[in-house]
Amino acid sequence: MNLNIDAGKKGAKKQKLVIDAPKKKRRSGKSLEAKKARAGWLFVMPFVIGFVLIYLPIIFDSVRFSFNEMRLVIGGGYQLNFVGFQNYRNALFVDASFVTTLVSGIRQLVLDIPSIVIFSLFVAIILNQKIAGRAAFRAIFFIPVILTTGLIADIDSSNILSSYMDSSTGIDDGSGQASTAAEIVSAIDIRQLFSNMMIGNEIVDYVVGLVNNIFNIVNRCGVQMLIFLSGLQSISPAIYESCSIDGASGWETFWKITLPMVSPMILVNTIYTIIDSFTSSDNRVMSYIAAVTERSGGDVLASAMYWMYFLIVILIIAIVAGLLSAFVFYQRKD
Amino acid sequence: MNNVQTETKVRRESKNRIKVDFERTPLLQRLKAKFLNLYTLKKVVWYLFRFLLLLGISYIILFPFFSKISSSFMTKEDLVDVTVRLIPKHPTLSTYKAIITDNNYFVALGNTFILSFLCGVMQTFVCCFIAYGFAKFKFKGNKLLFLLVIFTMVVPHATLSLSIATKFKFFDIFGIIQLITGSPINMLNTNWPLYILSLTGLAYKNGLYIFMLRQFFRGIPDELEESAYLDGSGIFKTFFKIILPLSGTMLITVFMFAFCWQWTDNFYTDMFYSITGPTLLPDIIKVPRSLDTNYAGSALYTAAIKNACGMLIITPLIILYLFGQRYIVQGIERSGLTAD
Repeated sequence: MNLNIDAGKKGAKKQKLVIDAPKKKRRSGKSLEAKKARAGWLFVMPFVIGFVLIYLPIIFDSVRFSFNEMRLVIGGGYQLNFVGFQNYRNALFVDASFVTTLVSGIRQLVLDIPSIVIFSLFVAIILNQKIAGRAAFRAIFFIPVILTTGLIADIDSSNILSSYMDSSTGIDDGSGQASTAAEIVSAIDIRQLFSNMMIGNEIVDYVVGLVNNIFNIVNRCGVQMLIFLSGLQSISPAIYESCSIDGASGWETFWKITLPMVSPMILVNTIYTIIDSFTSSDNRVMSYIAAVTERSGGDVLASAMYWMYFLIVILIIAIVAGLLSAFVFYQRKD
Repeated sequence: MNNVQTETKVRRESKNRIKVDFERTPLLQRLKAKFLNLYTLKKVVWYLFRFLLLLGISYIILFPFFSKISSSFMTKEDLVDVTVRLIPKHPTLSTYKAIITDNNYFVALGNTFILSFLCGVMQTFVCCFIAYGFAKFKFKGNKLLFLLVIFTMVVPHATLSLSIATKFKFFDIFGIIQLITGSPINMLNTNWPLYILSLTGLAYKNGLYIFMLRQFFRGIPDELEESAYLDGSGIFKTFFKIILPLSGTMLITVFMFAFCWQWTDNFYTDMFYSITGPTLLPDIIKVPRSLDTNYAGSALYTAAIKNACGMLIITPLIILYLFGQRYIVQGIERSGLTAD
């Protein structure tokens, strides 16, 4: 031990000498460090400029609008009247359905997150194993990320066609609700299966909801799946090999090796999922607030609502990150 | 062991060959021993389970596309016909023709292509620049600035939609433009708001791209650049001549994300463009004039038309995806995303 430390010290001294030497001879301008620091600033300059000139004013304006009443002036420009917390009060106490939408939306969000993270981990593990047509499967699983966004998701959300195509009875009365057969498994079957297990109704509802929502969940899993996939591939196969030599079963390997090794990815993915589902325009709260914007004088009210929603979600992210980071395992601590 | 050795006879056949005589276990028995055990059974079952699961999920993902494609070729009669489900009895191209001629499809396609392509290129290179700065240079405020990047990723643009819209409607930088021209510039109905957001790394999900690219650049060994510096190459020359060619896959990945998400975007196009602005792809999602939807129970037909619009919108993306999907998968895998 002692020897080692000595050696280290000697090495350090030597290094210092090497660094010192060219300093004396330095001819012009700045050291490489200073040059690199300056180059670093140059590289990130687009972001800095954008942040200071565009983003900060936007953020500032958004907060300001939420405390004001806004009126467009005909000649161009707008006029603001400071109203204090009026908008926030309106959102919370005057608007009839904001609070209920908020509560149910956030409840939905919190329930969705574990299912998305677990499902994407599961699929990533399966896709990481050798299987016929793996490349094709990967390509297919990634389609929703590219294609089912924005416009297409918009068309889909009001799409009665696919449910009609799925239906076995196929009675279209023009009401837009062709039949319920689009649900993959009939809820009654699962209910019967689970009611015999004596677990609460809540859990049964949750599971039934998950199964019937599988399309939605698969659609929202793409990026998370790829992050998990990259995490899984960074685990050295040597660990798995030594595990199997020691006689560990696949089940044990998963809990003792795979899970700890991908735990940083679980943290990243959970936070990404929260942000993603919170900012996606098809979530209940966002679409409600978007509808509020359309009302007369609703735009400032919507700003106030957005900020409240944002603060709540930040709080959720902080809590989740705090809880999860206690369980995260980092292989190398540097 | 000994038993076996005594029973087998080893003969020397020629100079370099020997022949061993032993009683071979029959093929059937050997196969039985090899495949009829719990281990193989478990493996096979697990393999089948995995395969079926993947197949099922693929079906869930692909089925909506099939139904959309098939319905877009159906006539009105097919859609009310109960016996028609996936394969139309009277296949027709009239829906597509009507959309293309009545809704100005090609104009919208061209406009959107220019917009998405330029935005994609700008976002790719700007994010690349920024991410390289964060990954490889130590300077004061590096960490703080990166936190700000994360912050821009966390705050959804929908939260800021009102102030973004007003910002670009009355575009001004600290009142300088008003001093020069007398009034702020109205940038709505032009492509400039999106270009400006792209050039400053603030557009949709750019925080994610910066994060991904930063992780990727961190994985490139510093020695590579150091040796380039030693050979007299400047910092920017090193970046363009050595780092960029190395990160082709990642660049394609980021470009595809940026391009596709801009292509199907409706949030920013809603915000920055009105009816008087250039025709973009979101504008073609409507029932064409020449198609008659004025009958009872036309809901399905309207839905089929809208889906046909959707198919027309994503067809170029599907072609692009067929060529680029392997880069995306590779790119994300190579970025070696870690949480540190």
